[in-house]
Amino acid sequence: MPVYRPLKDLDWPLLIVTLILCGLGVLQIYSATQGTHWADAWWKQIIWIATGLIMMWVVATIDYHSLLGRVVYLYSAAVALLVLTLVLGNRVFGSTRWIRVGGFTLQTSEFVKIVLILLIAKYLTELKSETLEWRDLAKLGAFVAVPMALVMKEPDLGTSLTYIPVLVCGIFMAGLRWKYLLVILGILVITLPIGYHFLKPYQKDRLVSFIYPDRDPKGTGFQVIQSRIAVGNGGMWGRGAKESSQTHLGFLPVPHTDFIFASFAEEHGFVGIVIALVLYFLLIMQVVQNAQTATDKAGLYVCMGVAALILFHVLVNVGMVVGRMPVTGIPLPLMSSGGSNTWSVFLMLGLVNSVRLRRFVN
Amino acid sequence: MDNTPFRPSGKSIERLLITGLILFGWALIAVLRLIDLQVFAHDKYVRAAEEQQDKRRLIEPVRGPILDRNGEYLAISSPSLIAVVNPLRITNMAAAADLLGTILGLDVQKLDQDLEAAVHSRHPGYFVVESRVTEEKAAELRALNLDWLDIRQGSVRSYPNHQLAAHVVGNVGGDGRGAAGIEARLNKDLAGKPGYLRVKVDVRGQAYDSEVAVPPVAGKTVALTIDSEIQHTAEEALEESVVKNHADHGSVVAMDPNTGEVFALANYPTYDLEEHLHAGEKQHGREDLAVVSPFEPGSVFKVVTISAALETTNLTPMSLFDCSNGSFPQYGRVIHDAERHGTLTLADVLAKSSNIGAVRIGMVVGMANMYEYVRRFGFGQKTGIELPAEARGMVRPLKRWTPNSMGSVPMGHEISVTSLQLAQLGSVIANGGFLVHPHIVAWKQAPGAPKEYTRPARPLPVLKPETVMTMRALMRRVVQPGGTASRLHVIGYSLAGKTGTAQIFDFAHHVYTHKYNASFMGMAPSTNPRIVVVVTISGTTGEAGFGASAAGPVFEAVMSTALRRLNVPRDVPDEIETLLAKNPKTVAAKETDDTSLASLNPPTEEEMKEASAADSDADTGSVHAAADGPKAPNLVGKTVKDVMEEAASNGIEVELYGSGLSRVQSPPPGAALVPGQPVQVRFAH
Repeated sequence: MPVYRPLKDLDWPLLIVTLILCGLGVLQIYSATQGTHWADAWWKQIIWIATGLIMMWVVATIDYHSLLGRVVYLYSAAVALLVLTLVLGNRVFGSTRWIRVGGFTLQTSEFVKIVLILLIAKYLTELKSETLEWRDLAKLGAFVAVPMALVMKEPDLGTSLTYIPVLVCGIFMAGLRWKYLLVILGILVITLPIGYHFLKPYQKDRLVSFIYPDRDPKGTGFQVIQSRIAVGNGGMWGRGAKESSQTHLGFLPVPHTDFIFASFAEEHGFVGIVIALVLYFLLIMQVVQNAQTATDKAGLYVCMGVAALILFHVLVNVGMVVGRMPVTGIPLPLMSSGGSNTWSVFLMLGLVNSVRLRRFVN
Repeated sequence: MDNTPFRPSGKSIERLLITGLILFGWALIAVLRLIDLQVFAHDKYVRAAEEQQDKRRLIEPVRGPILDRNGEYLAISSPSLIAVVNPLRITNMAAAADLLGTILGLDVQKLDQDLEAAVHSRHPGYFVVESRVTEEKAAELRALNLDWLDIRQGSVRSYPNHQLAAHVVGNVGGDGRGAAGIEARLNKDLAGKPGYLRVKVDVRGQAYDSEVAVPPVAGKTVALTIDSEIQHTAEEALEESVVKNHADHGSVVAMDPNTGEVFALANYPTYDLEEHLHAGEKQHGREDLAVVSPFEPGSVFKVVTISAALETTNLTPMSLFDCSNGSFPQYGRVIHDAERHGTLTLADVLAKSSNIGAVRIGMVVGMANMYEYVRRFGFGQKTGIELPAEARGMVRPLKRWTPNSMGSVPMGHEISVTSLQLAQLGSVIANGGFLVHPHIVAWKQAPGAPKEYTRPARPLPVLKPETVMTMRALMRRVVQPGGTASRLHVIGYSLAGKTGTAQIFDFAHHVYTHKYNASFMGMAPSTNPRIVVVVTISGTTGEAGFGASAAGPVFEAVMSTALRRLNVPRDVPDEIETLLAKNPKTVAAKETDDTSLASLNPPTEEEMKEASAADSDADTGSVHAAADGPKAPNLVGKTVKDVMEEAASNGIEVELYGSGLSRVQSPPPGAALVPGQPVQVRFAH
């Protein structure tokens, strides 16, 4: 195995699209946080991106096979970290999602995603049969359920839900019988109403206000309505950078993180949004292309897991902003301000590059 | 090296495709929604955003000042800080009153009561605690950070002269709009136009950015025709008279008869414009009675009757009328005079204010002519003065006049008028026969614009000039010896006028009470009148409550001040004044009474009794002793005309029978005359 990995072999189109999206994100963060106490978020975001790029390069140089080989340790460490977060974590806005490392805080649940991608890839690679059996499904389900339960306990329903698409994508690719699929769907339909009762009151409120936002426009429906107004206010061409009234008058909640897309929509309109969505499409297709050119099943599953995760984030976030999904607190990858999420996306892109750099090698 | 990459099986690709399709559908939903929001429903959401972000804040304009005719401020607005509370949000009223009262230096107990009352008022969420808060106190109050208290930038209306011309100027209510007087009537002009700020507010409702979208336009300056000094004199004299006579209320109007400019318009009771109505206080005492409250004018109205007689009949001032010795049954009731008269000339009917004479003259004039002149003088119509709630008075339409009306209207009953209308009546006599339209606003001026002078409607000719000259001469006799107001005197000026003492009709019990409406309508100088003054004192009693006694002194005071203020040249030489001063008897000759009485409906037995009683009360001291009374002249052998002229010149009443030359008289020539008994003369050919 050659140790030297030439820089030119990196997935440059992927990297360029990634950096354009990051750039749009930084500009939008800058615009949206002018005059607020988050005014320093934009340069912090640049630091996250810069360090993220380094992490991506480091992961790209590591053979993903060696990571897959140590996935048991990684998984154990991830679960331990989540437990640690619950015990030691910083309590912010009533939930314990962050753990203090050095001078800054990390959202541990973000990094668990990567471990789960690797774990599922590893498990599915080692399958003997063409299709999945109930036993495999149960095992995979259990592997995902443990961290999910821990994250839900924080509580952070949104992030815990992002683990599911990785699993779904994996088992779908690995060969799920239609019969099984129907059974799973059936179980889901039955368990969802029961699950509702286990939700926190604020989560229930979010669900209710998603369906009936106008029931309590000043309270729980506020975010949904204000986000919708911001998007609608943008119109075809947008109101222009720093001209967005919904964003700048504080009507839009957290305009630089979860609702950055609403802020972007207000300032750059439908045209701007289409451009951003096309960039995301290109990004995901580039990842999928890497999956297709992967030399082995493991590479395929890793890349497809990453693609599924990013796609899920984008769809849920955009759906939330336009009022077609409940408010879950899922950030928009690469654009939303935030260190943990930015780093985890770059780490995943590092995995994709790791797969790519080894596509011509046995 | 194996360069062929790992290829997923066909099945995998198929599944990938399905996954892709599902995800594509999902993405499509989001994109379609985006199109809907941003392209189709864009306008709706722009409006929604503006609705919650763009707030209009009013910029209050400065209310225009009100001046008198000499530029003295009667009302002026100045910027101030206003402490406003929302009583509904106050949990502990007593504590709040204590806190505010202590800081602002107000009466804590009263404030507490006012706050309690405010909760039950029409605007329970708004109460002005203090409209003149100093900067320091405002800072102190703001520091308390009370959610029910607001310190606002506003303006406060002040009335530097307090009660001066209160009824004319009026005041502004708690909402800043004019509540009475000129403030109410010209509210639009005074208020100006509010401007507004377009304010962008953030999610906490705080202003983020603002621009003056429309600057406010200050209100117009309004100058009145009121002269503060005349007004002041009028108010003072009026109060003195009302209090002295234990009357209910009174009014004074002083007016320029040529232009209709009102120099003074006063009422008593009055009020201080700086004092707001207290909770529960009634508007009573704040009414502009001279304009809004009509009354039966009584004898003053004889001016109309006699003017009509001079123009529509061949009667002259020397025409004789049998005054039936003070008791004249007519139209099913008895008309009385305060003092018994035999035969009076038309001139004396006015000077001595004979009711019977006036009714007899009215009979000659006739109903249609009487009605015509009542209307010509502007009765039953608004004068059009720029004051709110003007009354038109009551004049029955001609077809509703009964024969009985002619026993009432000529002496000023069955009709109601305002003091202002009486001033209008006086002006017709004073200005040569024109009906002027009283006005009280001299000019208005918007900031930066030229003055807009009030242009009153053209005066209408009402009387012939010769009638006017005659009427002035007749009214002059009212204030001369033998007239009902012979005591009235303004040094240096000749006066003319008419008294009135109308019994007040009690509408609740349908009887005439023993209370009078004492009035005097007069003008000076009588040769070319420059000022007309009408004084009405309502609710007087006894002889001191007659027109000349109760209203006369007020007239003198107002008239002399007005003549001096307007630099009217004297028309009575000083020598005559000194002469008059040496012989006060000629001036202060016996003042006769002047009550008039009528009923609006055919009177009942009771009412007749009541009326007789009133008459005898008013008649005390007017019985002459027969011994030193006049002797009967020799009237035998004369024509009817000669007899009447001689009787009139001697002031004796005659009853004539037959025609031709006089043959017999009773009592005979030289015999003492019995008061109240006329000399009967029989004629034969």
